[in-house]
Amino acid sequence: MANLRVSLNIASTDVLSSALSLSAEKVMSVDSGSLIKAKVKGTAADTNDMIVYLANDKSERAYLYIKNLETELENYVYLRNETESDTALASKLGGGEFTFIPLAPDKTYAVYATKVDTVIEYGVFGNDNSSVIYGGSGS
Amino acid sequence: MATTTATLTLSSADLTGDALSLSTTTTLTKAGTVTGLNQTTGVARKTTSSSSQYVLFDGDAYGNGSHKVYIKNTSAVATEYATIEINSEQMGKLYAGDWTFFPWEANADTNDIKIQPSVSTSFTLEYALFYE
Repeated sequence: MANLRVSLNIASTDVLSSALSLSAEKVMSVDSGSLIKAKVKGTAADTNDMIVYLANDKSERAYLYIKNLETELENYVYLRNETESDTALASKLGGGEFTFIPLAPDKTYAVYATKVDTVIEYGVFGNDNSSVIYGGSGS
Repeated sequence: MATTTATLTLSSADLTGDALSLSTTTTLTKAGTVTGLNQTTGVARKTTSSSSQYVLFDGDAYGNGSHKVYIKNTSAVATEYATIEINSEQMGKLYAGDWTFFPWEANADTNDIKIQPSVSTSFTLEYALFYE
């Protein structure tokens, strides 16, 4: 097992009259995960959208990081629970925005984008389920 | 216009042979503009003593936009979790000490963010919403 440290800091000097500095950190024990940079082809749900997490690839817990690397704020990336619906969004990321969320490990998640070939960076972390094999079993 | 930033750091020395060290920052802005989000719930906590699902943020109350949500499970009991539901679909489970941060488009009453604690004993979530 490996340790993955994930931390978040939200800061502002002027959103409230009192300066805001919110920090959260968790050290997770995980055995798999990696960062991927890829282009999203699909611009509509269920049409050339990209799977970022395949159902049951992780056991018990899975955590997803995605960042929309577009510089234009209006070029969105749409994250949805592919298993449950074609349309309902889990999140909508403008250019430059990121998210870090827990996934339901038994669901498949996919993204599509406003613009063809939108570049994203993403990673899924958790404990690998060897029964689910990306790319098939070879048999 | 307020300026609020969120910085995420992911690091691991032993997950793979290539040490992971990622740090990224985003400014919390309104949808499609560089105008900063200027309204917030502040950082707050909600304690429940029931495993019934409840609405943390009502989609109808915030309107269409690019709101930003932070939620943390403050429990120290490893088995205690909160199931997060958005658009009536499960997003995932926040276990003890876990946190999440995500943009939220609330454009209809159905876009509620709902929480279901796993326990009916005292259970506390910390949250903050930055909204348009």
